[in-house]
Parts: sequence; structure tokens; C-alpha cells
Amino acid sequence: MTDISAPERPIRVLVIDDEEQIRRALRSVLQARHYDVDLAETGERGLELAAERTPDIVVLDLTLPGISGLEACERLRDWYQGPIIILSVRNADADKIAALDLGADDYLTKPFSSGELLARIRALLRRTQGPDTSVTEVRSGDLRIDFAKRTVTVRGKAVRLTRIEFDVLALLAKNAGRVVTSRMLLESVWGPEYVADTQTLRVHVSHLRHKIEAPGDVPRYVLTEPGVGFRFPEADDPQDAG
Amino acid sequence: MALKRMMMSWGGYPFAVLLVALVSLALIPFRAVLASTTVMLFYVPVIVGTARLAGVRTSATAAVISFLALDLLFIPPYYHLTVAGLPEWLALIIFLVVALIAGQQTGTLRQREQAAVRRQSELELLNSLSARIVSEKSAATTAEFMVAEVVGVLGARRAALYMWSSNSSTPECLAQAGSSRQAPGEAALVGWVLREGKAIGMDAAWSVPADQRPISVGAADAIPGVVADGVYVPLQTVESLEGVLVAIPPDETGMTVDDERLLAAVANLGALSLHRHRLEDEAARAQALQESDRLKSTLVSSVSHELKTPLAAATARVTGLVEEGSDVDAARVHEELLNVAEDLDRLNASIGALLDLSRLESDAWRPHPESCDMRDVLGTVLSRLPAAQQSRVYFQIADSIPDVMVDFAQVARAITILVENALSYSPGDEPVTVGVAPLADEIELWVEDRGPGIEDTEKERVFEKFYRGAASATAPGGTGLGLAIAREIVRSHRGRLRVEDVMPHGARFVVTFPADAGRSE
Repeated sequence: MTDISAPERPIRVLVIDDEEQIRRALRSVLQARHYDVDLAETGERGLELAAERTPDIVVLDLTLPGISGLEACERLRDWYQGPIIILSVRNADADKIAALDLGADDYLTKPFSSGELLARIRALLRRTQGPDTSVTEVRSGDLRIDFAKRTVTVRGKAVRLTRIEFDVLALLAKNAGRVVTSRMLLESVWGPEYVADTQTLRVHVSHLRHKIEAPGDVPRYVLTEPGVGFRFPEADDPQDAG
Repeated sequence: MALKRMMMSWGGYPFAVLLVALVSLALIPFRAVLASTTVMLFYVPVIVGTARLAGVRTSATAAVISFLALDLLFIPPYYHLTVAGLPEWLALIIFLVVALIAGQQTGTLRQREQAAVRRQSELELLNSLSARIVSEKSAATTAEFMVAEVVGVLGARRAALYMWSSNSSTPECLAQAGSSRQAPGEAALVGWVLREGKAIGMDAAWSVPADQRPISVGAADAIPGVVADGVYVPLQTVESLEGVLVAIPPDETGMTVDDERLLAAVANLGALSLHRHRLEDEAARAQALQESDRLKSTLVSSVSHELKTPLAAATARVTGLVEEGSDVDAARVHEELLNVAEDLDRLNASIGALLDLSRLESDAWRPHPESCDMRDVLGTVLSRLPAAQQSRVYFQIADSIPDVMVDFAQVARAITILVENALSYSPGDEPVTVGVAPLADEIELWVEDRGPGIEDTEKERVFEKFYRGAASATAPGGTGLGLAIAREIVRSHRGRLRVEDVMPHGARFVVTFPADAGRSE
């Protein structure tokens, strides 16, 4: 009910799922929020619709007849810039990670609540619609990150981070609330030839945590998504452009 | 012992001859002064002694040699068989008769004594065997004992006990003693006995009453062409053939009647014992099967209850709204929908828990251990709790904790269960404390609440599937599977999960992982 401002032009959501019940449920939920909804029951049909209708966001089920959700994701990413949310079943970790690495932006595990799906959709749209560069600072708890000055303060005290530590933290913070796979971190911070070097990433994350997390407490800023990657918690006021 | 064995070699005959010769030589110097009847008296102990040590036949021989020695050496004319007068003849004949009778009597006494000793050791064997039958825990130890005794008491070169292997196709050696080398044709003969239920090689046992011994055939009658010297006794009870006892005699002379009778008795007792063990095993298996059937049906009824209750509730609410038509008050619809969402949440939790548990139990969810910082795991656990609950969780984390090799996702799941449990059993906004500390070669992690605690009688049961403790009424909504899942996860990491009391009230769930947990993977 407390939806963000009703957009001037309805936002187009493409739902690709082979299950009739899920498609119907998502259509009624999304239409009730004034989204413009297109439905596809196969990957092939989904790709066609994506080309015809250029949706603002795609919700893609991974288990599809015909071409798989993974393949659909890959082919969609060849030309499509908008966010993609993956729907996966429990325990299909490998597929989930592969999809995220192929360029999907987030995932939800079935069954999920409508509230969660809507929140993810809003978060992703916000990120892609609002220019990224306007976010110059992120605050979460006692932590402040200034992207322009490349400085980090914890409880008001400046913390010295190495270039790599800052880049890791910055990438996570800019994707606050969203999982970032190890592969994505390695590729963007170290470079594409380092994507398999998860051990290096672990060491740097461990140093980073040591500097920014409170001693004797559990990590609150750099959270592990087991088997997938890392996540920065949803920032207190993500729209705060400083 | 060595001296006695030497004397008794060659049936004791050289010994008897030697003894007579010695006595004769000792008496020759005195033959002029000693009356021949007196000399005769010196030979009597020799004959009796020979009878005692070597038996009747040897003593008879000694008597005859003594008779000749007396005649030749002590009765004039010396060195001639002829005897001068009738009295000497008479004395010699009487001597021979007395000597033979004395030898005979002493020898018989010796045989009886030997038989008594033997019977005693047989009795001891049978006695200890029957005692074992009552006390032995398994067929294997009974079999070990039997073959050891057959070797020890009968002096068999080799003893072995066979039964059908579990797939009933080949004989399987349950125990053996003495030589570990199989006798010629042993395997084939054992197989024949197991199939036919007849003994092989018990030829000497004809004097044993037919109802106390098995039907016996020669080895060559059983399997043409086989030459074997062993005795193969079926272990036969009224109902079944339990196995075969094999005894290979020490030499070609084979087994005596007594040996075979003893063997038959051992076989009978052994059969009873093995039969009893088999019946016990079968009973235990049947009971285990019954128990697992009972558990399965409990599980099925619990599972269907767990799944149907929230489904029934949601269905009732939704169909209720449908029934009321389109003019239902929006506030009421909203309220009902909130309830339906709650029902569905519970259904989802139950299905998820059941899936996890079945994957864990079927070993489909194997841990993939990696080096993990427990603080990191706890951070993930905390971030998954509802925001409102996060502030109730306090941490007590030791300064330095070594990394543990565990499956991050599984351990996070187990700890999440413990923390969620603690939160729901603690009243209101009471805190829940989570701690981590290194022990000598373990990492200990605990989750402590200020709830009602857990009765001693329930401390184990709370980990059972679908078991709900006395306090669960205050914390509805659980699936009854959480702790079972947590324990299963901890177990698959070679760790332990237990619960203890917190004073004045509350429960503390303690997880310990070996510091190198999972390294063996």
C-alpha cells in the first residue's frame, strides 16, 4: 500500500514462468501495484516478448521447459540492460549462482512473499533508474562510506583501507541489500582473469572485516551469503545523495 | 613326563624287558642263598608296576619273561629249561598264574582310572560348553570356543566350524583352531554334510546308540574319489541344520569311540547354541523392523498433521471469504488474509524442514566443508532473523577463535534453528545470548535463553522428530523438526549438540565441533 510514487508511464514487468498458477498470482499482485505485466510460459516466448515490449524488469524462473532459465538469462543479457530477478527453487544453489554470474541481478527462492518480490523490484528499479553516480555516500549503522573521497569512517573515526579493500566494500555498498557473487567481486575488483581466485577474496574480506567490524561482535556490514557471495545490508537511507 | 614317555615307547615292551633284566642281574649273585620262591617275590612288583604303567598286555609279556628268567637263572639246573623237581614246577606255574592275574587286575584298574579321568575332562568340556551356551553373546564366540576345546581336549590337529554363508550358496568358516590349513577335500565334504545332514567319517561310533549319533558315511561314499581322514559332524537340531563341525585327528589311527562320542555331544550342544543365537537374531531383526514400521507410521501421521493443519486453516479462511460473497468488509478480508499468510508461512516452514531432514537423513545433503570463521556464520544467521528480533540477540565472542572446517550453509541453518527456538521460547523481549569459545581441540558455540528451560526427562527427547516439549504450548508455530535437523547437521560434522540448564531458568543449547571438523572429507 505504501508503494513508491505511481509512475507516469506504467512500469513494464515481464514474468517468464512455466507454471500457470505462479503467472496468474504474479499478474494479480503486480497489476494491483499498477505495473504493466507481460506473461511468458517458455524461455523462447519470453525472449520474443522481451524484444517486442522492452520491459523495465524481467522476472525469470530458472526451471523452464525448452530452453532453460539459465540459457534464457544468458541470451537476454546479450542485449538487455534492465534488471533480471531469478526465481529458483530451494537448494538449486549452483543454478542460482550461475544465473547471478551470467548477469542476473537478484534472486528469490520459491515460495516467496509478494512483499519481498515487490521490495526487490523497487530496489532494482531505483538502482537502474536513479543515476548511480549521484550516490556519493552510504551510511549503515556506524559506518560511513564516501565514494568521492574514497574514505570510510567507523563510529566517527577514519579507517585506512587498501585500494582493494575499498573497492570490495564500495561494490558491496553500492549494491546494498543485494547479493554480489564472489565471481562478480573478483571480476570487477581484480579483473576477469582472477574470477576463480576465491581464496584471495576471502583473505581481503577478512582484513576488511577486521578493520570495519566491531571486535567481539559478528559481522554487520560484510555478510556472507553461503555458497554465493557477499552482501552489504540495506543502507539506512539509500537515497541520501549527501 | 619325558622319562615316562620314553619308558612307554613301543607299547612299554622294551621297558618291561629292561626291568626284568635288571632285577634278574641284581639277584644272580644271591641265587645260592635265596630260595627260588623268595626270588619269585621280587618279580611281582615288576609285573604289577608294568601293568600300572603300560597296561595288561605288556605286563603279561613281563610275566612270561620273568617266568623264563626264573626257570633259566634261578631254578637248577641253571641255563636249562628243564626243571629238577615237581615242587619247583608247581612254584613256577603258580608264579605265572599269580603274575598274570596281578597284572590283569592292575591293568584293569589303570584302564578304569584312565577312563574316569577322561570322562571327567569330557564332563568338564560338556559342562563348560553348556555354560557357554547360556552365557555366550554371539554365535561366533560360541563357535570359537567349541573348536578350541575340540583341539584342546581331543587333541585334534585341526577343528573348524562351518555354516551356510548369508546368501546360502557357499559354506562359510565361522571359527577354526589348530592348523589353519584345510584338510584335503574339506570344503567339498562340508558342503555335502550341510546339504545331506549326514556325518562323514564317524566309523568308530557304532557302539554309540543310534539316536545319540548322526548317520555316518565314509568320505568316499559322500563324494566319490575323496580320501579324507577327518570327522565331519552335522550340527543338527530337531528343526534345523545349523552347521558342520570338522575335526581332523592328530594321526592315521583316527578317532576312538570316546573321541567320537564326545564330538557328537559337542556337536549337539553346539547345534542348540547356534540355533538359539539364530532365533535371537531373527527375533531382534523382527523387532527392529516392527519398531521402524511403528516410527514410520508415527512419522507419516505427524507429517500429514504438520502439512494438513496449516493447509486446512488457510482453506477454511479463504473459502469462508468466498462464501460470504463480494460484500465482505475490506478490513475483515485484510485480517483474514494476514492469517492465511501466516498459515502459508507455517506450511512453507514445514515443507522446508521436511525436505532438509530427508536430504540429511538420506545423505543427499553432504556437508561441503570449507574454512569458516564462526563470527561470519553468526553474522549471516543474525541477518536472516526478522529485524525486530535482531536486537534481542547478544553475542559473547572470544577474542581469538580458530577457523573451523564446516559447511557454512548447513551450520548457519543449524544455528538459525537454535536461535529462532531460543527467541520463541523466551518471553517478551528477554535477550538471547549466543557465544563462541575455543576449547582444547574443539570449538564450542552456545545459544542461551531465559525461557522455562527443559526438564531432565526431555533433554534427549526434544531432539526427536515431531517431539514437542512441555513448554511448546507457549511457543506455537514450530514444525517439531528444527532440533532434529540441527542435531543431524551437527552430527554430520562429527560434532555434538546437547542442552543444559541455565540458572535460575532457561536452556542453553551447546554445539561443539572438533577444531578440524570435516578435514577428513
